[in-house]
Amino acid sequence: MHEELYAAVQQTNALACLECGKCTSVCPVSRFSQEYSPRLMLNQAVKQDFDTLFADYDLWSCLTCQRCDQVCPSAISYIELTQTLRNNTDSSRFKGQCSHSGVLETLQKMMTTRDLRQNRLDWVGNELDISTDTGEILYFVGCAPYFDSFFTNLELSTLDAAISSIKILNHLGIKPVLLPQERCCGHDLYWNGDMDNFKMLAEHNLEMIAKTGCKTILFSCAECQSAFQNLYVENGFKVPWKLQHLSQFLAEQVESGKLELAPVAKPVTFQDPCRLGRHLSEYDAPRQVLKSNGGDNLVEMKQHGKGALCCGVSAWMNCDGTTRKIQNERLDQAYATGAETMAVACPKCHIHLQCTQQHAGDDGPKIEIRDIATITLERIG
Amino acid sequence: MPEPTPHTFDIFREEGQLSFPGKKEEYRFGPVEPSPCTNACPAGVNVKAYVSLMAAGKFGAALDVIRERNPLPGICGRVCTHPCEAACNRNVVDQPVAVRWLKRFAADYELAHPGEPPAKIETTRQEKVAVIGAGPSGLTAANDLVRRGFDVTVFEALPEAGGMLIAGIPAYRLPRKILSAEIDYLTNLGIKIETGTKIEGEKAIDELFKQGFEAIYLAIGAHKGKKLNIKGEGRYRGILDAVAFLNQVNFSASEKPGDKVIVIGGGNSAVDSARTALRLGSSEVHIVYRRTRQEMPADEEEIDEAEKEGVKIHYLAAPVEIVGKKGRVTGMTCQKMELGEPDESGRRRPVPIPDSEYLVEADCIIPAISQEPEIEFGLSDVKLSRWNTLVADEDTMATDRPGVFAGGDAVTGPSTVIDAIAHGHRAADSILHYLTGQPLENPVPPQMLPEAEIKIDLDQRSQIARAGMPAMEVQQRLGNFDEVEFGFDEATAIAEAQRCLRCGPCAECEECVSLCDKQPAMLTVDGHTGEYLCRVPDNLRSLVNSESSLTANLKIGKKKIDVILQSLQPRVAANICRGCGECVSVCDYGALELIASSGDLQISQLDPEKCRACGICVSACPNGAMLPGFIDDAWLNSKLDRMATGATNLVVFSCRWNGSSLHSDELAQIRTDKVNLNLIQTICGGRIEPGFVLKALAAGASGVLLTACDDESCHYGVGARRVRESFDEIRSLVHILGTDPQRIGFAAIPDGDSVKFIQTIADFAQSLNNNGGK
Ligand SMILES: Cc1cc2nc3c(=O)[nH]c(=O)nc-3n(C[C@H](O)[C@H](O)[C@H](O)COP(=O)(O)OP(=O)(O)OC[C@H]3O[C@@H](n4cnc5c(N)ncnc54)[C@H](O)[C@@H]3O)c2cc1C
Ligand code: SF4
Ligand code: SF4
Ligand code: SF4
Ligand code: SF4
Repeated sequence: MHEELYAAVQQTNALACLECGKCTSVCPVSRFSQEYSPRLMLNQAVKQDFDTLFADYDLWSCLTCQRCDQVCPSAISYIELTQTLRNNTDSSRFKGQCSHSGVLETLQKMMTTRDLRQNRLDWVGNELDISTDTGEILYFVGCAPYFDSFFTNLELSTLDAAISSIKILNHLGIKPVLLPQERCCGHDLYWNGDMDNFKMLAEHNLEMIAKTGCKTILFSCAECQSAFQNLYVENGFKVPWKLQHLSQFLAEQVESGKLELAPVAKPVTFQDPCRLGRHLSEYDAPRQVLKSNGGDNLVEMKQHGKGALCCGVSAWMNCDGTTRKIQNERLDQAYATGAETMAVACPKCHIHLQCTQQHAGDDGPKIEIRDIATITLERIG
Repeated sequence: MPEPTPHTFDIFREEGQLSFPGKKEEYRFGPVEPSPCTNACPAGVNVKAYVSLMAAGKFGAALDVIRERNPLPGICGRVCTHPCEAACNRNVVDQPVAVRWLKRFAADYELAHPGEPPAKIETTRQEKVAVIGAGPSGLTAANDLVRRGFDVTVFEALPEAGGMLIAGIPAYRLPRKILSAEIDYLTNLGIKIETGTKIEGEKAIDELFKQGFEAIYLAIGAHKGKKLNIKGEGRYRGILDAVAFLNQVNFSASEKPGDKVIVIGGGNSAVDSARTALRLGSSEVHIVYRRTRQEMPADEEEIDEAEKEGVKIHYLAAPVEIVGKKGRVTGMTCQKMELGEPDESGRRRPVPIPDSEYLVEADCIIPAISQEPEIEFGLSDVKLSRWNTLVADEDTMATDRPGVFAGGDAVTGPSTVIDAIAHGHRAADSILHYLTGQPLENPVPPQMLPEAEIKIDLDQRSQIARAGMPAMEVQQRLGNFDEVEFGFDEATAIAEAQRCLRCGPCAECEECVSLCDKQPAMLTVDGHTGEYLCRVPDNLRSLVNSESSLTANLKIGKKKIDVILQSLQPRVAANICRGCGECVSVCDYGALELIASSGDLQISQLDPEKCRACGICVSACPNGAMLPGFIDDAWLNSKLDRMATGATNLVVFSCRWNGSSLHSDELAQIRTDKVNLNLIQTICGGRIEPGFVLKALAAGASGVLLTACDDESCHYGVGARRVRESFDEIRSLVHILGTDPQRIGFAAIPDGDSVKFIQTIADFAQSLNNNGGK
């Protein structure tokens, strides 16, 4: 097993580490936890001290937000190394601390079953015009139906983003295809090192999509998009479709004049999802949408774009005190802008930041967190 | 070790030591010192517990506590000699708490507010047990054995059950409807009583064994009056033994025994005979007793009442000769006595005063001096003492013949109801041991524990008069057998119970489990698969709670076992907690609070003194920062790993209270019929978060049943509600997933209702099979 790991160390360029510590200096986790240092972890990997790494709670603390990789002068892919290490822990070893008693992880695994008969489109009412078999454009909903049913104590609905997206598409004369048996994209399982189940989910999804005859797939969830665009492809799956985040699609529509939007009424700030930003290098499209038709109301947080601070949790792992500090910092940055709304482009950012804001109690400052699709729908006449 | 029941709270009650490897000092514990009243009760009734419950108006719960050790509460509430009251600390302050009358109130309250009759207890064992004699001793043994699943038959010579309670004690003290209600209660539980069936004949005991009875309890009482051994005895008509007299009065219509009656003796049977004679119309009734009033064994109150009713008591007078004319009694010569040196019983021996004889005229003489057993069957190896009583070991009640046990008046000679009950318990314990092949060694009977050392300052207590017992006017009593004492009303009962000083440690009524300082830990015994919940003694608590797991050697008496003690209290993982406060908001005991940590972060902190280890906070914490003791995720996961394939796999999550008196046989029944039952019990059902239900399904469960106590009986405040919430949450998730929501079940079952618990599981398993559970 150690050879395989050592191969990963080589492949991720880890041997070229200069021990400059740039990674640790930008890492949001390191910023709030004395314990955590990507530089030291790399160092242990290079020394092949894998047993120490496997026993380390912090192997699951990395958010795979890619801040470190971005600044590394030796172009090391720390997050890929992390993923390989996680993938190689056997069940007897320390696993990351699953939040919510593993409900979400278990649901993801249960979705690998082939003959599932999910009721995952119950939320689609008559006002929405969709197809469930064939069509040009497919809208990949993501796990919002499960989130909304589980996070009942959070004041949010992640399905609002889906409903708004479909309404916008309908407004543009598009009848999107939705998969009644859509599965989790497998993003979280991949980053937790559960490759087998990740692959099964990918297969199910790709097989179903192929039958729809679609040309384009739209996503509201940045993680789903990054799974298709990066992870599926890197793992040898064929993904022969145009993949777009809804914000990218909307930007195109605005650009071409097909979609006309009223200006954003109240000051708004934008939370760059790490998957859409650093993983897929898209920083402009959502901003273009928010700014279209008089964009004076977009105000940026101290850390934004490439340097944005992420929402603090990845793959429902190791949500802890450090996480809370990252999130508190992110919310403080948002409050500091004076914006009334924080636009998000990923349901996970939405959930995690809303959770933290709610737990801070009623007294502190508040910002309304909303998906970019919901904000956009309001701007249509 | 006790059987692995969930209520193994009591391991540390007895005296013993715990030592830890690597630690020099030994921790001594026990015995738990009972309050003086509880200590004094021969039957081991937890007096303080039920008096406390009554003080809170919880009469039903109080009656449950009484019934645990005394199957005849309404009877003992009237006639018990109440050694508890003699021991009561209130004696020092003013007067004892009226414990007996409180017991009577609890029993009468149930009669006045009848609920469902008790459910019949199913026979779960093959062995049949015969009890000879349906007096208090026989009934107690039968009751204990039926509750343990044995098939018990009681044989009674008289036409009605009750022993001396019906044959001796008159109805004005013990109304027959009370007696029959208590006997009905016992027969409803499943005790079979064959009245009018005398066991007689030389080979009677062998016959019973031949009929398939594997153990026999001889509780035949002492009904044969002893001779006076004085001149004139046997020469005249008009001499009638007390027991025979009362027996006649109780079973057949009767007339007065004579116009002028002399009763000889100082016990209850003497006083009862005298008062009965008065009620039947005798114009003059004397009691002749050798010693003074202080020595009289009959109840104080009884003597008072007898005197009020007009009985003339001759203290310090001994019968010398019965005189008569024409074959009929005309009177008795008595001699005056004085008290001399104490005899072996500690009472001062009466010595005759020379030339003090005097004559009392009478046409009827009732000797009530003592009785001995009337044995009408061959003793076959059972020995007789020189007082003609049966010989049995005083701890185990075993006779010399294996399988034959004896107790009650038959062994002690005339004694008391509560002693007879105590013997019944010991005999039942021994029969259980005998039939299950364990050595016949009984735990130390409760009254043999050392005198309780009471740590209350009696001088500080203010005096509160004991409640008096309302009773019928003396004039109205003659000519009828109506009950003389009326009993307390509710307000009096509560006020009287509140006089209790609550001596000693906690009342141990188990009611307060949710409030008092019981902090259970889990005890696993080396080499046993079972896990035992135990209550940690005070001096060990902080040690146990400070470590997640302690290996120790436990010594109780001669037994030495290696054990692992694990605290059930959770601990906050300070590096994980994100201070969301979810745990704080669910803890009903205020055991958690948020305290400042590093930066702007707060984290949760647990107060081990307040925490009761329900584990609800563990399930509420979204992040796994509450690390539970013992019942941790790994433990739960390991239970789920035991999922078999093939059969209908049923996972039942329940708390330890729900169905706590489970019979493994009944669970086994559900297990067989194509159902693989995986019962996972946590302290409180609220410990189970939705994730585990999903994991059970993912692991291959055909169905998952969540049970909780109902809201009223939940031991942990919000526990029951949390289980219901988890259930709702999981149902909606499972619906989206397309799994049949019927595969998840929820049931609220009153604490301890194991019948309903088993039924619910069986029904759920059935519905899964109907749905074609895989
Ligand atoms: C008049 C009187 C008043 C009393 N008052 C009090 C009191 O106020 N408080 C108190 O605590 N105690 C009192 N006692 C004492 C108390 O009643 C006895 O101590 C108690 O009943 C003994 O219980 P037991 O089960 O040992 O025997 P018993 O109650 O005597 O029962 C024995 C039973 O065995 C049956 N039996 C005997 N031989 C056979 C056979 N061969 N086959 C089948 N059945 C058989 C008998 O018929 C009887 O029913 C009183 C006793 C008397 C006589
Ligand atoms: S990926 Fe993000 S969280 Fe992980 S080490 Fe790099 S900077 Fe830190
Ligand atoms: S931030 Fe809140 S929602 Fe997100 S993982 Fe942590 S506890 Fe769960
Ligand atoms: S919720 Fe229960 S386990 Fe948690 S701190 Fe409170 S009493 Fe203890
Ligand atoms: S619920 Fe968990 S994370 Fe939240 S405060 Fe309590 S222990 Fe900390």
